Amino acid sequence: MSGNKCSYIFSAIFVLLAHAGMLLNVFLNGNYSDLSDVIVLAGAVIGLDLVYFIIMPFFKQSTFTIDFLLLLVLNMSVIFQSCFGGVHLSLKHYITCITALIACRAGYLLCRNHKWLQMQKKYFYIGIGVLMLVIVTLTGSRSMWIYLGPITLQPSEFIKPLFVLACATSITEQQKKHKILCFHVVYENFALMGITAAICLLQWWCRDLGSLPTFIGIYACGFLLRICYPKAKFSKKKLIGAGIILLAVAVICMKFAPAYVQERLHADIWNDINGNGYQQAQALIGIANGGWFGKGPGYGFLHNVFAHENDIVFATISEEWGLLYALMMVLAILIIVMLPLINPPRSYFHSTMAAGVCAAFTVQMALNIFGSCNMIPFTGVTIPFISSGGSSLMTSGFMTGMLVASQSPVFKPPKPHKKLSSFNLRRQKA
Amino acid sequence: MKSIKRCQGIISLFLVFFVAGMIALVIKIQREASFYMMHSENYELGMVYDRNGDVLFDGSGNEEYEDNYFIDVGNLIGDDKGQMTNTLVAQNLEKLNNYSFSAGLVREGGKAAIYTTLDHEANRAVYNAFGNQDGCAVAYNYKTGEILVCTSLPSLDVTKGYENISDFRSGTLISKTLYGTVPGSTQKVSTVIAALEIMGADTLFSKSFSCSGTYVNKSGDNIDCHNSYGHGTQNIQQAVENSCNPFFAQLIEDDDLPLSQVKKVYEKLGYAVNDDEEEYFDIDGIKCQKASTTLNDPYEFKTQWGCIGQGDTLVSPIQLMMWQSAIANESGEMTMPHLIDHTTDVYGKIKDNAKTQFSDRLFSSDTAETVKQILLTNGENHYTNLITGYKLGVKSGTAQVNEGNTENSLLVGFVDDPDLPVAFCILIEDKNNTSLKTENIAQIMLDALSQN
Repeated sequence: MSGNKCSYIFSAIFVLLAHAGMLLNVFLNGNYSDLSDVIVLAGAVIGLDLVYFIIMPFFKQSTFTIDFLLLLVLNMSVIFQSCFGGVHLSLKHYITCITALIACRAGYLLCRNHKWLQMQKKYFYIGIGVLMLVIVTLTGSRSMWIYLGPITLQPSEFIKPLFVLACATSITEQQKKHKILCFHVVYENFALMGITAAICLLQWWCRDLGSLPTFIGIYACGFLLRICYPKAKFSKKKLIGAGIILLAVAVICMKFAPAYVQERLHADIWNDINGNGYQQAQALIGIANGGWFGKGPGYGFLHNVFAHENDIVFATISEEWGLLYALMMVLAILIIVMLPLINPPRSYFHSTMAAGVCAAFTVQMALNIFGSCNMIPFTGVTIPFISSGGSSLMTSGFMTGMLVASQSPVFKPPKPHKKLSSFNLRRQKA
Repeated sequence: MKSIKRCQGIISLFLVFFVAGMIALVIKIQREASFYMMHSENYELGMVYDRNGDVLFDGSGNEEYEDNYFIDVGNLIGDDKGQMTNTLVAQNLEKLNNYSFSAGLVREGGKAAIYTTLDHEANRAVYNAFGNQDGCAVAYNYKTGEILVCTSLPSLDVTKGYENISDFRSGTLISKTLYGTVPGSTQKVSTVIAALEIMGADTLFSKSFSCSGTYVNKSGDNIDCHNSYGHGTQNIQQAVENSCNPFFAQLIEDDDLPLSQVKKVYEKLGYAVNDDEEEYFDIDGIKCQKASTTLNDPYEFKTQWGCIGQGDTLVSPIQLMMWQSAIANESGEMTMPHLIDHTTDVYGKIKDNAKTQFSDRLFSSDTAETVKQILLTNGENHYTNLITGYKLGVKSGTAQVNEGNTENSLLVGFVDDPDLPVAFCILIEDKNNTSLKTENIAQIMLDALSQN
């Protein structure tokens, strides 16, 4: 453990206290008929905290801040999800949160060495291609889910980290410009643009336009960093040009969006309270019903509304725990996103990767929270870490691992390929 | 390092947008939470009071009231049952809800209330004065805009529910003061205003037209006068006092009064001219129908008949009353009426204090002064003995409705007294079926208001 032991212990105590406080609230104000439900929930949450605190030091990291925050947020979500409509441990969500923690470790281990990642670049493109193929062949045109018995998977979620990595690894290619006619172009930029277009088309085909802004956010973030590379300042012309193109694309998309999107764009939820505006209207009523301090865990009515645990989860939490608690939850996630500002990544590759992850998390949160509260069209995307859903949680966990990697990177050159090294040796002898 | 800072800049950009959105969201929720709650099944309504603290609506339903206690305000104050939508309660449920984002829904002891400007005692006196006769009356303070009396018959006691709704008489569920009615000769006030604005007082007073009981207009149609013997040759003052239809038909045909300009003045007054769509203005959330008329051709019967106040012309009693304020104030600006004086929130804290507001200038102050004098002279010459104790400017009207089969009686006017600055409009339906006169109602109304 290379971090400060004292701060590690205090951070662990803080996380434990935060969860203990929430569990105490469940005990005192929660809606439960059997105390054992609260005990099981408390045992699961505190147990997971303790196990994670024991395991974490085995990983060599310069900081564990994100790990603590991730654990804090994930177990918060376990408590929230277990209280909707009555206190009872949500085992499925609990398991997916553990999976997200494992995914975070995997993300960290795979992404900490950018030189190695750079060599694996082709696999990102292949991965994205395979996932797109899976979507085309297995989900159907009106769906985004694959049903495997009790498990449902959303393959488009797994494209997100691969897309972030593809954007990040393309940075070094910016120095390899080729002249075509009078333009200096980078071939990889075309590849990325092509992939973005393909993803957009695929999302359109799946009728999952809600995820589009997330991909566009990641791409825009990577694009901005690429067009400015290697100079350390933004070119105004390029920025204005990019802004105009983005605006034009947005306007065209709005204009030619399919009927069901148009309905959502122009929906007056209060005039269509039992139709298209049902979820948003109920969400807002739920938030108003909860006030600052909530009705008490398990005492809301929003658990009767479809997708209360993911699409309108912010409102469900607000209703039961209060808007103040819901805002604190958002703040906890924001701190994860903010950490690259406080503890800067160690390389341009890692900072590009961190920016992509932050863009994805922020856009997703904005789409979910503002959409469910009728500030923007309702898209039905998830809030990272809080909404239920295995694919989303695993992806969010993995992407958090990418953030951890940007904080504790490894700069060892990758081991040379065996065949290649023996060939070089023979050449030297000759 | 600069490259890394650039990445941080982009992260900051995303965060700034998101945090700004979150702040906007919290403000939005704070401001609109009460509105959201009104769309749920959980709400707890407070009280509506009159200007003296008398209850006009009890949202709690805990207290007992005398039979028909609320009947004089039934179709104006309304309730939350959804049968009447254009009422004070229905349009202001959010203000009445004992809810705040901080306190939540307060079932007991919430102090959310609407304090109206109405004088319940005077309102009840006016309602009772109508007896079994249908009609409506509205009066307000033309200096402040406070609506003091507003009653419409038939009405209902909202505490009795709607089980017998099928037995309710036509018009029970609406306040007739808010909806267009044929104004009869009270419309001539608008025509006088238009003439004064276009040709000036000197020209108008210099004009005289004769009446022989019937006038055959330039299109060959008959314009009948209510006095079949005719009024002889008159000037504008006499014509107003006699309410002479042939005079006004000839005035509309006069070359000094181009119809295009009359149309402009009418539009300024708030008429929807030659427009089929109904338009409304707002009084504390309650919709009030805007005046409408048809002005096509100065020689056409329909246009002349409209300017006299029959046919297509429709004006709500409230709007007739509002024009009186522009005259009484000698400003040409209407005092905008309001029904809510202030509201209190769930803790009893006063908010939404009413402010006196005025319309844009509808006509010049010179015109206002001249019309005021015409109406005061009319009041002095014809109403001193009918409505005693008040210096009044008035204009009466008889409106033909149901294709001329029924006649309604109207009286609009104002009291020229700084201690009782009241403008009013009274409508009695089917006047030939009753001995009740608009001046009887006016007397009772003004007496009740002056005593309170």
